[in-house]
Amino acid sequence: MGADTEQLKAILLAKLKMDDRKPIAYRKAKEGKSYNYSTLLNMLIYAVTGLLYTFPLFIFTDTIVAMYGYFTIFLFLLTFSLITDFSNVIIDSSDKYILVPRPVNDSTIFLSRNLYVFIYLLRTVLPMSLPGWVVLTMSHGWPTAILFPCTILLMTFISLFLVNGIYLLILKISKPERFKNIIGGFQIAFTIFIIIFYNLMQGISRSSAVQNLDIHQYAWIRFTPPYWLAACWSWLGYEAVLPGTMWLAALAFVFPVFCLWFTVKFLAPSFGRKIAAIDGVEVHELHQPKVGKRSKGNLAGKLANIFVKTDAGKAGFMMAWWQTSRSRSFKMKVYPAFAYVPIYFVYMLLLNDEPLKQVVAALPQTKIHLFLLYMSAFAMMQALNYVTISDQYKAAWIYYSAPVDVPGHVLAGAFKALWLRYCLPFLFFIGSIVLYIWGADAIIDIILATVNVTVFTVCVMRTTNRSFPFSQKEQMKNAGMKGFFRGLLTMILIAAMGFAHYFLSVFWWLKTLFIILSSIFLWLVWDSCLNTNWQVIAKGEDD
Amino acid sequence: MQPIITIRNLSKNYGEKQVLREINLDIYPGQIIGYIGPNGAGKSTTVKVLTGIIQDYTGEVIVAGKLLKENLMEIKRSIGYIPELAELYDLLTPREYLSFIGKLYHLEDHVINERSERMLAEFGLLPNIDQRMDSFSKGMRQKVLLTSGLLHNPSIVILDEPLSGLDANAVILVKELLQVLKQEGKTIFYCSHMMDVVEKVSDRVVLIDKGRIVANATMAELKDGTGNSLEQIFARLTDAGNASSKADSFASAINDRSSQPPITHE
Repeated sequence: MGADTEQLKAILLAKLKMDDRKPIAYRKAKEGKSYNYSTLLNMLIYAVTGLLYTFPLFIFTDTIVAMYGYFTIFLFLLTFSLITDFSNVIIDSSDKYILVPRPVNDSTIFLSRNLYVFIYLLRTVLPMSLPGWVVLTMSHGWPTAILFPCTILLMTFISLFLVNGIYLLILKISKPERFKNIIGGFQIAFTIFIIIFYNLMQGISRSSAVQNLDIHQYAWIRFTPPYWLAACWSWLGYEAVLPGTMWLAALAFVFPVFCLWFTVKFLAPSFGRKIAAIDGVEVHELHQPKVGKRSKGNLAGKLANIFVKTDAGKAGFMMAWWQTSRSRSFKMKVYPAFAYVPIYFVYMLLLNDEPLKQVVAALPQTKIHLFLLYMSAFAMMQALNYVTISDQYKAAWIYYSAPVDVPGHVLAGAFKALWLRYCLPFLFFIGSIVLYIWGADAIIDIILATVNVTVFTVCVMRTTNRSFPFSQKEQMKNAGMKGFFRGLLTMILIAAMGFAHYFLSVFWWLKTLFIILSSIFLWLVWDSCLNTNWQVIAKGEDD
Repeated sequence: MQPIITIRNLSKNYGEKQVLREINLDIYPGQIIGYIGPNGAGKSTTVKVLTGIIQDYTGEVIVAGKLLKENLMEIKRSIGYIPELAELYDLLTPREYLSFIGKLYHLEDHVINERSERMLAEFGLLPNIDQRMDSFSKGMRQKVLLTSGLLHNPSIVILDEPLSGLDANAVILVKELLQVLKQEGKTIFYCSHMMDVVEKVSDRVVLIDKGRIVANATMAELKDGTGNSLEQIFARLTDAGNASSKADSFASAINDRSSQPPITHE
């Protein structure tokens, strides 16, 4: 395909070697032992996630339909992770000074990136597919046990080359300098879309309609890749309801090869050049701003002057406000979390066996709006987690050379920016829905939930995220068990808070009392956050 | 005259490796100090100590009569630091970045805005003041960094390779600027590998090698009537050896031939 295998091998080996060394560099030597342990636990988490994907295998009696369900979920989730986690690897332009000036052709660069991502994907895909393999082997015997890994490999290829194909197409038709923005928007939109689709599909599949599913009504699924993968089972003698299934199975093999050939042959040739141009150094004078006329960013300055007292706090506020509104990686990680809240709520409604109209009509009699309100704490948590992370974490040197007396002021400023920019408008939006459905009486619930969510996030900041905004490097591998348990604990605490609120709902005056108590508690914790000193920051960096 | 910076027995270790060994140095106000040395000699570490980024060192650093360790914030306020190859948050515009930095130094909004516009105008960057820096060239970023380091009107300016990436006109401007700052009584600590510039702008040259100061003198004292350039003095004092012999060995390695003795010119 025009790639130089020797160069390809050299590039891949160098990249993998760098990754292997990363954990040693980031963790202290004494923690070296726990590394293998956490990798194992990570795999266990992937396997548990993979177990969730197997539910269509238990629901549907028709093997091909069951496999279709399984591959649809898996493929979507894989594509999702590819777009959110690996896009930066595919379109990474940081090695342009290393590779582009060398006699390495585009196909080699293109394939090296893809193989690299493929190797990483396999590390995730293999443990995730393990439960499916066990379930299928037990229920369908050894022919399936052999076929299944092949289809999983094909699925990984399809996912990888589909995403690549789309990216390369955008590269082909757009100006390279604008590519990152287009991809950024595309990633955010796609992430939200995937979440909506996945949840709605899950909701639909669990509803009573599934039991009486007539596959003939959904004949269009024959044109989707998961069906081609599922169709491979028709070769093992499993009967397919839709005509032409056996032939479609061939597409499962042909399609990835075609994608590979098509992308390498037609789209990759300009890849290196375009990637190198992504970070164009020329300044485009397209919209020359008038000197003296302040940019829109000044809003941050005005708000900082209103809501923050100290100068360090104002600096933190403005930094968080500007960066979060522009950083693609921040938006990609955080915006979907906000989109998730209303989507998950709709999904919960769909889970109900009653017709949707009746479920909605009965809502005011329930207390489910508390669930909706407290769910927003998750979204705020995500924003809080990612406000410390940046590709340009090295630019944080300025905090250390500037006379920042109390670093807590910078952190508090950044928190206020996040709260004003994300939490408040979001709670306002959710609150409006709640008021519309549950009526004016729910206003006290909205206020108490807002205070509680704020208390909770401030407490989390107090105990965990005490780093300067945009000062930490994101690691490719996730935080392992520590992160998992932290997430679990967060979930339990938010749920506990929601339930406490639920039980308070008996008397309105009890809720009022708790608004006051929570506010006092908030004031106390906030004060402690505000006084975060340099020792705490240093400790946070060591962790 | 009292020195503005006094360094006594400054040592710093990274694990087993000793990067700075018993450094002693006095710097007087209104001087431009050229701080030079080979790669890994300890220049950046000294600068990081002076700017308060590194605090776990042994020895004493006194700035304007005050112990650095005990008056960190006050001393940081009086220092302007422009690091080498520094990253900045390039999703921001120069105006936003400078507002952020200005706030960290407790400057008023109108002061930040006025100074930013005037300083960037001199660098020819005013038309770009409201554009995001992610599309800026290295030189443009360096101009923003220089502005950010001087924005709070510091009395001590620490520059680490400040001319890196700048165009010829900007280089002339910065060199002139150093003289103007000096006349205003500011102390300038200038780290660079560009010997010709150091030679021209510095009042004193401090040469550090393997964590020790090996020379601390004016250019005239260093030359000592020999007429040698700073580059030659640097090579002699830092044990660089015979450069032409090394170059020949290097070229031999490329051509897979054995090293020839260097051609000597009569």
